[in-house]
Amino acid sequence: MNEAVVAAGVSKRYGETVALAGVDLSVADGEVFGLIGPNGAGKTTLVRALTGTTPVDGEITVHGDAPTAVDADRIGLLPQSFAPPARLTARELIDYYGGLYETARSTEEVLAAVGLTDAADSWYETLSGGQQRRVCVGIALVNDPDLLFLDEPTTGIDPAGRQSLWSLLEELADGGTTIVLTSHSMTEIQRLADRVGLLQDGQLVAVGTPPELIEAHGGDSRLVIDTDQPAAAVDALRDADFDATANHTSVVVTAVSPVEIGDAVAVLSEADIDYGSLTWAEPSLEDVYLQLTGEQFAGGKPAGATTEPAASTPTAEPQEGTQ
Amino acid sequence: MSRRRRIRAEATAAWHSFLRRRTAVFFTFFFPVLLVVIFGALVRTQPTGGGLFAEPPAYYIPGYLATVVLFTPLSRVGSEIARHRDDNRFEKLATTPLGRGEWLIAHTLVNVAIIGLASLLILGLVVALTGAVVPFTARLALLVPFVVCAVVLFCGFGAILGRLSSTQDGVIAASNTIAFPLLFLSDTFVPLELLPGWFAPLVELSPLTYFARGVRTLTYEPAITDPYGTELAVVAVLAVAFFVAGAYAIPRTD
Repeated sequence: MNEAVVAAGVSKRYGETVALAGVDLSVADGEVFGLIGPNGAGKTTLVRALTGTTPVDGEITVHGDAPTAVDADRIGLLPQSFAPPARLTARELIDYYGGLYETARSTEEVLAAVGLTDAADSWYETLSGGQQRRVCVGIALVNDPDLLFLDEPTTGIDPAGRQSLWSLLEELADGGTTIVLTSHSMTEIQRLADRVGLLQDGQLVAVGTPPELIEAHGGDSRLVIDTDQPAAAVDALRDADFDATANHTSVVVTAVSPVEIGDAVAVLSEADIDYGSLTWAEPSLEDVYLQLTGEQFAGGKPAGATTEPAASTPTAEPQEGTQ
Repeated sequence: MSRRRRIRAEATAAWHSFLRRRTAVFFTFFFPVLLVVIFGALVRTQPTGGGLFAEPPAYYIPGYLATVVLFTPLSRVGSEIARHRDDNRFEKLATTPLGRGEWLIAHTLVNVAIIGLASLLILGLVVALTGAVVPFTARLALLVPFVVCAVVLFCGFGAILGRLSSTQDGVIAASNTIAFPLLFLSDTFVPLELLPGWFAPLVELSPLTYFARGVRTLTYEPAITDPYGTELAVVAVLAVAFFVAGAYAIPRTD
């Protein structure tokens, strides 16, 4: 398969701050590549480097050319925090950006693709946040690019708007568009990306498919038990050979398969321990992120304890005083 | 053809954006009206003929025109650049075929249209409110190249200010700081005789001086036979220089 983007030893400094430190990356034609990482990790700088909007050290080719030499008609970009002129309508904005290219998709076709036909004559500033981001994606698509860079495209969008954009991006990916996507939403990346790269401190510390990364860095499945008696619960569970650790008001049992949940519940019942709820979660990309970045949630709970549950996550209903 | 298509798309978007900011439209045209009303109709000369505005009303036409030719492009282009930078629009435009020079041409065209209309308004008001006598000769048509060149010049200057200022507020403050002294010390409203002798060489350094003197040879009867070629040439050369510098100053991302 041909490589749409190849980067080798890409480095960038802003004064004393290292934004990128020798990033090597390749994105294949037709691939959806997700870039994740903490704020300040270098995601936006890397997107700017790949699109030729910031000078960097190292080698970058996009469709075989330097980013600044590549045919602009083949590239689409939605920059981070991008906002077009606020008092143009969605239709005028698509017309405007389409007019900057040699050839462009028809405005009505783009409006239909981003689901804005009905709102086409509203000023950008009067649209909802989700509609505004769809206009922005429409602007990025107007030249029918075969390589699309989207820097946090769903930031600030409500869940319905996000789902709608995800569907649009999936259609584009199915149609063969190569997409480089940055996001802080692991759900988004896990749903859309064929491969994921995790940037930290300007370095690409892990690259792989979501299952590969989860397998390598996601850890075990977890059963989180809310209880006022964590110490007693841990003792009882450990006596039954469960790997349990206590927090202030919960117990985390790791490496528990779904069929073992009943056994754990039985142990708690036999030990006469009250518990509020049981939450079981498979390891997810968020666990990978937390594991590799060393970050924790504000409450200090262990990675995975309160993560967005994976699709197959069953959650037990609260139970009080089983005996 | 493609270049024209790109410039037309950018200019159309800029024109519509301007027209829909009603406050901006109002003050763009209200400011020169206010100026003519205050300086041309309200301020009186002393009975002895001394004081401010002692010259015939038509003498000040270059000053009124200089006001819009100077302030409007400086603040509009500078603010537009600051707004584009705040909204990451230049980063987006850098990945399109639109060049920085094309962007500046488009926005200069919009300014030429706006300032052309404002200039007509000023001429009409000066004649109507102050009784100024403007000689309607073929020379008057040369107002067009003078105004166009001056707008190009100050659009380029505005682009440089936009690049150097980090915010829209900064652009406005910087453009006012530069434009006010430039306006009054460029042989516009204040005749050279009212300035100290040592200051005269500084007046020669202002691009606006050549605009004012050139326009005066077209609109002020006592100067109607004076040559204007040098003034027009200076304004045209400076327009090219400032435009190139301004286009180069337009940011991409960093």
